[in-house]
Amino acid sequence: MPGTNGALRQFTRRTALTALGAGIVGATAASWPRLTGTDIPGRGDNSLSIAIMGTAADAAARQKVIDAFAKVHPEIKVKVQAIQAVDWKDFFTKILTMVAAGTPPDVVYVATEGAQLFAEKLAHPLDEYLRRDADHMKEYFEDVHPSLVEAFMYKGSLFQLPIDWNAANMYYNTASLRQAGLERPADDWTHMDFRSTLAAMKKAKPQDFTPYYWTNRLFGGVVPWLYANETSFLKETKSTGGEWLWDGFYANDPSRSLRSGGYQWLEPNADDPRVFESFDYLRSLVKDGLGVRPEEGGGGALIGLFASNRIGTTPAGGYWVQGLHEAGMTENDFDVQFFPKWRTQRHQFGTAGYAIMKTAKDKDAAWEWVKFSSSKEAMQIVFPTPNTTPARRSMVNEKLYAGTGPRNWKVFYETLDKFPTTGPIPAPPQQAAVETALMKNVSLAVSGDERQLKQALESMQRDLELALRRQP
Amino acid sequence: MSTATSTPTGTGKQPGRQATHKHSQPSKRGRVQQRWLPWAFLAPTIVGMGIFTLLPIVASLALAFFRWDIISAPTFVGFDNFAEVVQDPTVRVSFLNTIVFVIVAVALQLGLALGLAIMVQEKLPSWLRVFFRSAFFFPLILSAASVSIFMRYLFNEQFGVVNWLLSLVGVPAVPWLTTPGGSAAVVILVYVWQNFGFSFLLFIGGLASIPVETYEAASIDGATGWRKHFYVTLPLLSPTTLVASVMAIINALQVFDQPYVLTRGGPGDSTRTAVMVIFESAFQRLEFGQASAIGVILTLIIMAITAAQFRLSKRFVFYQ
Repeated sequence: MPGTNGALRQFTRRTALTALGAGIVGATAASWPRLTGTDIPGRGDNSLSIAIMGTAADAAARQKVIDAFAKVHPEIKVKVQAIQAVDWKDFFTKILTMVAAGTPPDVVYVATEGAQLFAEKLAHPLDEYLRRDADHMKEYFEDVHPSLVEAFMYKGSLFQLPIDWNAANMYYNTASLRQAGLERPADDWTHMDFRSTLAAMKKAKPQDFTPYYWTNRLFGGVVPWLYANETSFLKETKSTGGEWLWDGFYANDPSRSLRSGGYQWLEPNADDPRVFESFDYLRSLVKDGLGVRPEEGGGGALIGLFASNRIGTTPAGGYWVQGLHEAGMTENDFDVQFFPKWRTQRHQFGTAGYAIMKTAKDKDAAWEWVKFSSSKEAMQIVFPTPNTTPARRSMVNEKLYAGTGPRNWKVFYETLDKFPTTGPIPAPPQQAAVETALMKNVSLAVSGDERQLKQALESMQRDLELALRRQP
Repeated sequence: MSTATSTPTGTGKQPGRQATHKHSQPSKRGRVQQRWLPWAFLAPTIVGMGIFTLLPIVASLALAFFRWDIISAPTFVGFDNFAEVVQDPTVRVSFLNTIVFVIVAVALQLGLALGLAIMVQEKLPSWLRVFFRSAFFFPLILSAASVSIFMRYLFNEQFGVVNWLLSLVGVPAVPWLTTPGGSAAVVILVYVWQNFGFSFLLFIGGLASIPVETYEAASIDGATGWRKHFYVTLPLLSPTTLVASVMAIINALQVFDQPYVLTRGGPGDSTRTAVMVIFESAFQRLEFGQASAIGVILTLIIMAITAAQFRLSKRFVFYQ
């Protein structure tokens, strides 16, 4: 019966196609929120969308702060978006992509690396809010060093409140130091003392051991050495303005006269003889086997190597303490000291805080979040362990470092107190291009002979000129 | 057995069918359906291609004539982006690096894939063949970024396994990732290791399609060992070689993951590639116009090389 079979076949095919079509329509309808992106936290509702660098676990860890905030401001709904990124540069790229897609967050946690990029193009100044809530904010500024605040000043306006920070101090392995027959270095040890320390460490433990390990990056790479030698790879100037803040909150601070409307890095400075001198010093460490040729990447991988006594010294901030503790080091196994002195003992630091976006739906609500996040209550929730240095001086105390070390934890905050000219990571609005220009030439500069060093610095100067050619 | 629905064209040009099935001519509705139905099925793909492939290509081409940083409004700058790109020493070096990379990596990739394919196909028992086919293909399914992160640890000068192994035979530590020569070698090595499996599988397929009789005839004519491969295998594999080389070159011209994760293009610009410069211009320097201009130049280069390959193939490719 061909007709019957044909009809049956036809019926079956039609039914199958209809079912398939219905399935596609159903699936499309079911996944419509995903397809249109309306399921993205903060989109499509009035909640305040906060972007932080991190994982879903980091976002979950903020829940306690959100709960605490909700008690104070039940009318403001908050959602935290954790954005995974390799480094800050990568994080900013993702935020910019969200801006381009028309879905920017309302508030972003921004580190020094991106502070001027945000201030120039994306962020809303906090000036009016600070003036309005000056009485409330007085307590915060009394507890936070002005150097950290100045890092977030841009052309006379303040764009962020520092929440956490880290200076490039020098960590040392106490076992390696003892093995070399050395005591804790003096607070004012010099770059030559540092070299002698490395040489003694190497002599005492030549096998499978690196006296000085450093990575090629903007924080803790070559920059602290440049700062200690009273120079940098960019010419550092300061803009005028900002008196409203300094006179309002830091009028009696001993370093008041040093404060400005914010840092400016407008021109390259890689051809400065002191830059050559600093690079040459590092080149000599590499040449003599006292330091490594720096590789790119973060310092996270170093923790295991440092904890297993295969690294003698490395520059890092307070963020390393919890990692070393978790890697099994006790407070007797490692310690920290100021960065060695050269012409000066000016340190390098980086800090981070929340920036309100120009496009924020409700800036007043965003300010309430920023203000709350800078409170001691919120910061104590966020920083239960020493995995960074809190911006509030009162929180950098015995209790925070109890059981983890280092013994000389006071070094962290004293870096700012004892060296008030200590400066932020050089990060103009063109930071990404500047960082690339620096990093791509560092390895070459310290790995070859003097001729190669000169060529690398010439190349760096040229790359920096290109990076800075368009001033905002 | 023919029915109205199974008539392929319905135009009446098939005399037999026309003669026996006068009523099988489709109705007007049927003709409309036959004319538009294929387009209806193709529509989702065409729309998808238009939105996600053609539109970005056109947008990218247009963007090459603008200055745009995502945040501000784009400004028309004519050919300025192309002029700046051509004058930029980093861009020039990156293109040169890419060309050198393509020559070395593709030669190694194809050579290794062909050699191993012949060895596996001829010398190994069938159960081992299956094992090696999977083993050689395995790196290709891994994420290039993950592999590169892993390789960074392996090739670390101080603490890497590679230098530790070398130290066992008295070789001093090699600065793999911190010298121009070393880093280029590692990038090529990692790339070839991860990608030769695809060419290997193509060659295995090509080898399997060569008739055994051809080898038997060659043997009767006195060909043995190398001569057999030189005069039989290579010529008969030439269509496969063409496909493998076209794909390998196009992929290698777009190399990004391995140098980006392993060396970030350094030291200096020694491992910076064209696609890395596109990424840096767009997403780090926020110069999307320049990035598009570099992308346009790279696309033209890829098209020119591929066209040249197909033109040259007329001389070197033999079909049975």
